[in-house]
Amino acid sequence: MLIMKNINKIFQTADIQTHALRDFCLQVNEGDFVSVTGPSGSGKTTFLNIAGLLETFSNGEFLLDGEDVGKLNDNGRSRMRNEKIGFIFQGFNLIPDLNLYDNVDVPLRYRGFNAKERKFRIEQNLERVGLASRMKHLPSQLSGGQQQRVAIARALATDPRFLLADEPTGNLDSEMAQSVMSLLEDINQQGTTIIMVTHDAQLAQRAKRTIQVKDGKVSELENISRQHNQAIA
Amino acid sequence: MLETGLILRALARNKIGALLIALQIALTMTIMVNAIFMIQDRQQQMQRKSGLDEKNSFYLTNTVFGQDYNIQAHLQTDLHTIRNTPGVVDAIQINAIPLSSSGWSMALQHEPGEDKDAVGTAIYMVDDHAINSMGLTLVAGANFQPEDVELRKEGQSTWPAKTIITQAFAENLYPDNWQSAVGKTVYISQTQPIQIIGIVAALQAPWNGWNGVERSMLVPFQRESKGSYYFIRTEAGRRDELMPIIEKTLAESDKKRIIRRVTTIEDTRERSYRQHNATNKILTTVVITLTLITGFGIVGLAIFSINRRTKQIGTRRALGATKGQIMRYFMMENFIISTFGIIIGCFGAVALNMWLVNTFNLSPISFQLVAFGVITLFIVGQLAVLYPARKAAMIAPATATRTI
Ligand SMILES: Nc1ncnc2c1ncn2[C@@H]1O[C@H](COP(=O)(O)OP(=O)(O)O)[C@@H](O)[C@H]1O
Ligand SMILES: [Mg+2]
Repeated sequence: MLIMKNINKIFQTADIQTHALRDFCLQVNEGDFVSVTGPSGSGKTTFLNIAGLLETFSNGEFLLDGEDVGKLNDNGRSRMRNEKIGFIFQGFNLIPDLNLYDNVDVPLRYRGFNAKERKFRIEQNLERVGLASRMKHLPSQLSGGQQQRVAIARALATDPRFLLADEPTGNLDSEMAQSVMSLLEDINQQGTTIIMVTHDAQLAQRAKRTIQVKDGKVSELENISRQHNQAIA
Repeated sequence: MLETGLILRALARNKIGALLIALQIALTMTIMVNAIFMIQDRQQQMQRKSGLDEKNSFYLTNTVFGQDYNIQAHLQTDLHTIRNTPGVVDAIQINAIPLSSSGWSMALQHEPGEDKDAVGTAIYMVDDHAINSMGLTLVAGANFQPEDVELRKEGQSTWPAKTIITQAFAENLYPDNWQSAVGKTVYISQTQPIQIIGIVAALQAPWNGWNGVERSMLVPFQRESKGSYYFIRTEAGRRDELMPIIEKTLAESDKKRIIRRVTTIEDTRERSYRQHNATNKILTTVVITLTLITGFGIVGLAIFSINRRTKQIGTRRALGATKGQIMRYFMMENFIISTFGIIIGCFGAVALNMWLVNTFNLSPISFQLVAFGVITLFIVGQLAVLYPARKAAMIAPATATRTI
């Protein structure tokens, strides 16, 4: 479970102060699939970065799985990212010099799994995204959609509780976007909590819950979305 | 360790930069080890004992220009005057000065005859005061007696009956037992017998670059020559005070000759090894410069590759890498590149040394020196990469989402 209470994030550069999040409050339950929409510059990425422990916040309270994130030091945040959070980026962020197998291996090594365990997890997750046969390929030899699938396999390999995605389909054509979205839905079905930032309203609607961020604040659209989902189901 | 395999595979895809640095490390290692070796070799040469009491000795030249000049009588007067100057230990006339780079050489052989093997040696023409004047140590046999000393005419080709040689020379002539040289008769000028009556511990030849520099012989000759050296040894600490006194006394006692080039043995040594010292300074500068260039090269490559991989590093942080793990990645990467370069460098160092050994007759480098090079370059590499690695560790995890 993710709980944010009155989170503020102020960016201080030279002489400009940017209030990226203002008294941001949100609760995301186990197994949820939350899509986050909102205008550019409204604070979506900032929210996701704080949720994923990539950035610290100026003040407020943030509990992740019951742990007070504000009290963690840098190493503690690294460990928590590795153990509880999987990231998917708009630009895929695969390591270009490593093949698919080694790319998925990266977070597993940081966890300190032994070779056998890592091999099992890498193969299992590449299988899951349908790319087991391309293990030895380099990212540059794949299409964008395939690269994003590898990134998803990498994010899932550590068995995270939360999958955070910032515009995961932003660099994909609509067909590929649809298939990545379906994959995310499958993953959510299997129990992983997903928070996805997107500006594609149609994809956003496919989430169980939709929130909108405006001027660093949440405006809930979840009821509509819930009903929508229930109607489909 | 943790990521060695991944680092290796990533390096394999970016060979050129790493390879160039590895080669630079190899070259540095090759040159460093051999340069240090040559420096040490020269230092050892410079540390060899001349056998003289260097601190308390000096010499001067006596050049006669007067006509109808009784050289022999004046020589005795001069030596008497110098030897009786308070503070002087002893003095001799001599034909050449050790370390001065000019002198006389002869050869001694076991059998008389033209085609017999002979061993080259420096020859010093002195009297029975030589051992005391030069501060030599007699380690076997006896010194010359006053009656052994002969007058040598200009151009004379016969030699005295007795000689004193250095221990190194005796070892060369009698490898099984150098002490047995005492009493032996050997041959000079191919056919003239000469008996070895004593052995001194050490007395270097005038030429420091000669590989027989430890081989010298003394013969009891006083030269009837218009140009000669006086070699003077003083009591401890009185050399500098006595040098002008003796110069003045000699110059004023006799106006038909000139006293010149009053020089300490310390100065002579300094001049003799000036080239060595200069070469060592140049080599040291080369080694330090090369090491610095390599160090900066490592810094440069590391900063370049870190700047190129900013987003990747942010992504690794997002995937759970700690700052320490990011630092270790780059330290390890450098370690791998260094290892590669150092291995090539070991071969290079030994190969260059073998060439030097064959070409310049140097001795082979020691294992310790190669080990020193290995350790130094590993340390240089790790130190050089420390700052870039710290910079990499400071890259914010948010870089993963904030950069395109
Ligand atoms: N590192 C930063 N330094 C200064 N301002 C920033 C930084 N990151 C984001 N901002 C500002 O914070 C606000 C919210 O940004 P962001 O969360 O990226 O918006 P979104 O993802 O919704 O487009 C914007 O005004 C942006 O300019
Ligand atoms: Mg954004």
